Amino acid sequence: MWEIRRYPALWLLPALLPVALMTLYPVAYALWTSLHSVMLLFPGEPFVGLDNYLRVIQSNYFQDALTNSLVFTAAAAPLVVVLGTLIALFLRRRFFGVQVVRSIVLLPWVLPGAISAVLWIWVFHPSFGVLNGLLRDLHLIEGSIGWLTSPRLAFVSVVVAHVWTQIPFTVVLVMAALAAINPETLEAAAIDCKSSWRRFWYVIFPEIKAMIVVLIVYNALTAFTSYDLVYAMTGGGPGTATTLLSFQIWRESFSMYDFGAGSAVAFIVVLISAVLILAITRALPSDLFGSE
Amino acid sequence: MKRRTVLAAATLLAGSFMAAQPGQAQDVTLEFVVWNYSLETIQDNIRQFEAENPGIKVNLTDYTWPDYQDSLILRIRGNTPTDVVYGGQDWLPAWGSAGFIAPLEDVAPKEEIEALAADVAGFARTDVTYDGKIYGLPYYADTISFIYNKKILADAGIAVPTTWEEVTAAAEKLKAGGMDKPIVYEYNQELPNFYDAFVAQAYGRGAELFDAELNPLFADPGNGAYQQLAWLADAWSKGLVQAETHESKIIPAMNTGQHAFTIVYTYVLAALNNVADQPRAGEFALAPMPGATHSTLGFAKSYVITRQAADDPERAVAAWKLVNFMAGKPYTVAKRWAVEKGLGFGQLPLFQDQDVIEAWGKWADVKELGAQAERARAGTYTEFSSVWSAYFRPLLAKAMVGEASVEQTMKDGAERWNQLKEQFASR
Repeated sequence: MWEIRRYPALWLLPALLPVALMTLYPVAYALWTSLHSVMLLFPGEPFVGLDNYLRVIQSNYFQDALTNSLVFTAAAAPLVVVLGTLIALFLRRRFFGVQVVRSIVLLPWVLPGAISAVLWIWVFHPSFGVLNGLLRDLHLIEGSIGWLTSPRLAFVSVVVAHVWTQIPFTVVLVMAALAAINPETLEAAAIDCKSSWRRFWYVIFPEIKAMIVVLIVYNALTAFTSYDLVYAMTGGGPGTATTLLSFQIWRESFSMYDFGAGSAVAFIVVLISAVLILAITRALPSDLFGSE
Repeated sequence: MKRRTVLAAATLLAGSFMAAQPGQAQDVTLEFVVWNYSLETIQDNIRQFEAENPGIKVNLTDYTWPDYQDSLILRIRGNTPTDVVYGGQDWLPAWGSAGFIAPLEDVAPKEEIEALAADVAGFARTDVTYDGKIYGLPYYADTISFIYNKKILADAGIAVPTTWEEVTAAAEKLKAGGMDKPIVYEYNQELPNFYDAFVAQAYGRGAELFDAELNPLFADPGNGAYQQLAWLADAWSKGLVQAETHESKIIPAMNTGQHAFTIVYTYVLAALNNVADQPRAGEFALAPMPGATHSTLGFAKSYVITRQAADDPERAVAAWKLVNFMAGKPYTVAKRWAVEKGLGFGQLPLFQDQDVIEAWGKWADVKELGAQAERARAGTYTEFSSVWSAYFRPLLAKAMVGEASVEQTMKDGAERWNQLKEQFASR
């Protein structure tokens, strides 16, 4: 009898084992590392309990990185969803060259983060950047603006670049959600609602709001764990102006060679991400994903 | 069938005997790891080495400068075969202490190493020494220079500044005359040279950053390093400084004629004054680092041999041959770097070399350069200084742009130094 009961579990083993190896082991190892002083250039790996967590939280960088990550998420995620939705609505229309415009809009999606960062560095570069050049040509400025070297402007610049890279995915998913709306509903709405805004709010939005929520959660997590753009564009600087928590994991681990502290930051990021998802889903109406 | 088996066995035996013949040095393949500066020159040097040493093949691996130490540490910790590597003065004590690299006396006669080291400039020798033992020979040795545009200063009737206060006055005058940002500064907290440039400026004021027991002194407002950070923050707040993320961007920026001063590795002056590709070549010169002593930071990058190579007799011999070819007498490779690329050198006899004097004379005042090398001082490097520098650099960057106070920055930096010192001592 017991063999029959174990039979399904045994069949699942080939799938479960790699999953366990690829996820549980690294997580367990990271947890072990976060409780030890693992510094690549120092001998030994003594147990330090929660010292890494305490030191990281009390460090100069953590408060800045946490604040930056939260502000970055709060700014970038809604921007991506709002702009992505507006672009998707626009691209639904039929006009000459719409296919070309759709391809151009999707272009950032095919670029790796590092390449996008290089492009944006050339846009924001103080001496020979496109943006300063344009502003100078329009006689709006005389000298140059340090888009990536002034702390506040650097933060804004990184948000802009991040939003640019994330919009295409949002556009694709919103367009998919829009395509799923019954055409008759839209035709009826076109007759009943003269105002485009009312048509969107009362007819289209209810049909796509589940997708919008998914996109908000997805974009919040993507922004909160963003790393590559910051690394390539500003290196977390100037100072700590664009240091995000995910970048701080890298800095602790690979710049200061303190894997214990790096793992501690990683676990803190996981914890905050979980709280973030919970908070977003709690804030939503309970019938959101139900049939309407 | 039996005959065939015997034949096969005989062939195998013969093959294995041939493979085991002593003196077949072509079996030695060295793994040489560098950062990716001028790879074509490195590869050409390797070709020449292989031609002179037919028994040895060299595989070259390169990493970018910002990622170099991370990549190398992970490579060595992961036991990836690695024999000879570029080392940096700030990393050497940590690598030596961690057992990543071996003292040269473990792979070559001590007298031979001492004879080579006797030719090396004082600060460069300090930079390749850890725990009383020499771990490397200089790949290049250089100083950090205060560079200015002669034409801009002459046109504006400004004398070459000798103190940082005079630099401010000159920059303010140029700004009033329409130059938006007279100073261009390599501002990249991820690069070790960001800290090195700061130390060089503090040395110009005559600052000591640490005492003999490695206690930090820079948090004292009377210390030159403290004053220099205050000066930088002040220059930034007055809008005198244009930040650039890398020396490669400083070169075109200075060549726009929109900046008069910069502080960079001396070899950058060679690129600035390169008539082949710089429109304002010839306009740039170095001046003594502003401050009371005009001292600056001297440093050496070196060829070092890994512990794993030192522990394998065949690889150890081959690795030493490679290091000796690259940095040893008659200093052909060091001279090549100096003549072709303007890299500084630690091997003092090259200062008398006519080819070097002639080549350097095209982009610098060789006499001034020699005087600067004499005034240069080595930095303070310990087992944990590279870890500390990675921590401290963003704090410096933050203070420069006015996001943190100088007092708090220096206090935090000193505290972290003491923490690491204690942490390392307890291991």
